[in-house]
Amino acid sequence: MAYVKWTGLGLVALLVAAFLHYTLPQTDIVRIVGTNTQRVDIGANSWFFSNVEIGTDPATANSRDVQFIQTILAGSGRPMVYRNQDTGWGWPPYFKVNSFDVQAQATDLTSTEAAPKWVAITHYGWRNQFFTIFPNAVSLRPVDGPDVRVIPWVSIIILILLAAAAIFLWRVWRRFRERTLEPALESVGDAFDTMDARAGEARARARTRWGRFRAWLAGLGR
Amino acid sequence: MSATETGKGVRMILGWLRLVLVGFVVLTLVYWLVSAYSRSVRREALEREWDTGDHALDRDAFVAAGLDAYRYSLRRRLILLVYVVPAAVVAAIIYIMNF
Repeated sequence: MAYVKWTGLGLVALLVAAFLHYTLPQTDIVRIVGTNTQRVDIGANSWFFSNVEIGTDPATANSRDVQFIQTILAGSGRPMVYRNQDTGWGWPPYFKVNSFDVQAQATDLTSTEAAPKWVAITHYGWRNQFFTIFPNAVSLRPVDGPDVRVIPWVSIIILILLAAAAIFLWRVWRRFRERTLEPALESVGDAFDTMDARAGEARARARTRWGRFRAWLAGLGR
Repeated sequence: MSATETGKGVRMILGWLRLVLVGFVVLTLVYWLVSAYSRSVRREALEREWDTGDHALDRDAFVAAGLDAYRYSLRRRLILLVYVVPAAVVAAIIYIMNF
């Protein structure tokens, strides 16, 4: 039983962590080597592309032009390609509506290996070659060099607020249980006590069957 | 304006409207939770106050009078910030992200 419980909790924690890792902003230091706009026929990877630019017609939503920013990462020197799409009023709540301006800025900051211009590029999302998905570049700013240290204040604040919300919900639940649920159950419990004697035999049978089931589940884990 | 053009105009507004509606529902839930919690904390404090002191009123009347006073308190009104703060944050994010 403990294996089932911890596997379940582990999966939930993994999902939450993956969701936060996808959604929260991260900053890379890059050198932009090019920008382009390219027709994309979006298929099974549609989850990882934003909706059409805000105000444009969503009727042809699965085939559209997507703006891309091609870069070389500082440090590793590996290529990284970002898409540059509006998030508009949708999820995640970056409320980005200026993708065309970001594209102009990115084109302006394009540089060569001989005379590099380093850019801090804030983005969310993942790059995955097997699904052809790209992180969404949210904003750009020029920085002094390739080793600039960026402190992720926004993510820190959001994680603190999420933790505070979780603690608040826990306290609400505990208060509800102590002051509303348990007094109510106590009065119900008094009523049940009178029936208890008759139910005793049936309950003993159920308990052994449950015990057998638990023993079987524990056996699976070994 | 033709029917289809009206449709497009409506669709452009639709994203914003959906955000407002979903936001309003979610924030109403939060408001309800926070005010229930705050009221319960106040009630418990009143019960404790009666338990420790020597009061002319009986316990239920004392708590009821205290909760009546709570209804017009600043603390209860401040819970309305649950609506104001997220709206201000969204406006700030839109400005910072885009302009």
